[in-house]
Amino acid sequence: EVVPSCSSGCENCSEYNGCLKCKPRLFILLERNDIRQIGVCLAACPVGYYGMRNRDMNKCTPCKIENCETCFSRNFCAKCKEGMYSHRGRCYQSCPEGLSTVNSTMECAG
Amino acid sequence: LCILQHGAVGQGQSTPATCSPLCRCDEDGGADCSGRGLTAVPSGLSAFTYYLDLSMNNITELPANVFRNLPYLEELRLAGNDLSYIHPEALSGLHQLKVLMLQNNQLRTVPSAALRNLQALQSLRLDANHITLVPDNSFEGLQQLRHLWLDDNNLTEVPIVPLRHQGNLQALTLALNRITRIPDSAFANLSSLVVLHLHNNRIQEMGKNCFAGLENLETLDLNFNNLKTFPEAIQSLPKLKELGFHSNNIAEIPEGAFHRNPLLRTIHLYDNPLSFVGITAFQNLSDLHSLILRGASMMKDFPSLTGTVNLESLTLTGTKIRSLPAELCDDLGLLRTLDLSYNEIEEVPSFQGCGRLQDISLQHNQIKQIERDTFQGLSALRVLDLSRNQIKFIHEDAFLSLSGLTNMDLSLNSLVSVPTAGLSSLNQLKLSGNLDMKNTLVAKSLPKLRSISVPYAYQCCAFTARDGPGSSAGEEDKSKATGEDEDMDRMPLVVHCSPSPGAFKPCDYLLGSWMI
Repeated sequence: EVVPSCSSGCENCSEYNGCLKCKPRLFILLERNDIRQIGVCLAACPVGYYGMRNRDMNKCTPCKIENCETCFSRNFCAKCKEGMYSHRGRCYQSCPEGLSTVNSTMECAG
Repeated sequence: LCILQHGAVGQGQSTPATCSPLCRCDEDGGADCSGRGLTAVPSGLSAFTYYLDLSMNNITELPANVFRNLPYLEELRLAGNDLSYIHPEALSGLHQLKVLMLQNNQLRTVPSAALRNLQALQSLRLDANHITLVPDNSFEGLQQLRHLWLDDNNLTEVPIVPLRHQGNLQALTLALNRITRIPDSAFANLSSLVVLHLHNNRIQEMGKNCFAGLENLETLDLNFNNLKTFPEAIQSLPKLKELGFHSNNIAEIPEGAFHRNPLLRTIHLYDNPLSFVGITAFQNLSDLHSLILRGASMMKDFPSLTGTVNLESLTLTGTKIRSLPAELCDDLGLLRTLDLSYNEIEEVPSFQGCGRLQDISLQHNQIKQIERDTFQGLSALRVLDLSRNQIKFIHEDAFLSLSGLTNMDLSLNSLVSVPTAGLSSLNQLKLSGNLDMKNTLVAKSLPKLRSISVPYAYQCCAFTARDGPGSSAGEEDKSKATGEDEDMDRMPLVVHCSPSPGAFKPCDYLLGSWMI
């Protein structure tokens, strides 16, 4: 069954699962609603996800880097959680040995 | 969350404006005006706004000084509008801006003039536009830039000059463009770069020194391109950990291919028409956990894995390899999965040193016999597939150590008999296709068997006496009543045996011999 009007950015949707296919170049995010998955189309993925672009589909993918708020990719963090120091795409409570803290940018340097 | 009185900022108002009626603002200075069909940046926002989300609206242009009242802005989201023009002065005054999202718009060139004074900018998203031109001075003023998205545009070459002064850049994606070649020193001064994505381009040609200067690069993604030769330029990348060049047209992996990349953990190289792999290609990769090599059809020699001591999964299929090195397991003590199917292996050495092996696939080879020590010591082995070989003989003690084996496939070999000593946990056994195996099997030695396929139906008689939980209860009563041999009680409960003896149950009527 096709819902008369899909949500913004959606090309093909269903009443039960929301958006099934987004307009080109938008990211699809699968939100969980009870036992259902609801597809939503976004130009930027929410916190805790990053946008993975590929030829056939763009998808919001869970960011699994420890203490990371915004991933650049599967293994590189672009923004660490509050109070954490970032170094080469990873997040640290305190900077690894041999590196010094730069509090202005919350990074480890050296 | 509250929407207070609308008013212009800093124009003598008794109560300073803190939000626009077109937005939702929170007390921390965040303003969400996304998805409201706006065609212009709303006014009346608090001067202390630090986060402004204007994405998914219909804003086509940014006029001059449109954000001049928001000096504390740190994150500005304009993704998913129809932006095609940004006035050179549009972003002036945003001295604290760290994150600028312009992805999913209609820009044809990088708005270099507008970006000029964003000295605090760390993340710049320009992905999913229609950018064909990156002016040389595009990122000149952006000395704090760490992350740059230029993927999903129409670039035909690497923006070498614009990137020349980006010594702080750590992550760059140029994926999903139309780049055809990477010239030497294309990324010369990007000494802090850790991640470089170039997947889904049209790269055919790469200069031998095209990655010169990337001494800190850890991830390089070259998947889905048109590379015909192995990217030797990776030799400039001493810290490389993740390398992908799957889905290209590479036919050969040369000798010593990765000898300058000792920290490699993953190499994705599938979907290449590989025909040859150098014997020394995968040596001394002590951080490599998984190696998958399929279809290197001209490969004749097993690659040397000396020094690659942390491999947990090895897949090497579709080659002309006929033998395996006797010392195969010397360096593979941590191996858990070994798939050497679809080769031309005639003899297998002892896998004794590979004590953690859980899964061995050797199907589709030319193995002729299994020795006493072939699988000795492999108590962790769960699955063993030896089907579609030419095995005539298996030493009677060959499976003694395999106390954990649950699935074994010996189908389509030339076996006359099969030893069962040691197979106390086996619950699935496949023997079909061993046409010389005519004797009946002894069910008792396989106590946990649940499913078996045999060459001839009558061989199922030994198992179907107890076929199915329902019927077994009936059988038990019958055997007690008729005082049959006590051993029957210890017979395995076989759930499924094929080919089953058939509708008229010859096991009961033809005195047990299918030959009559």
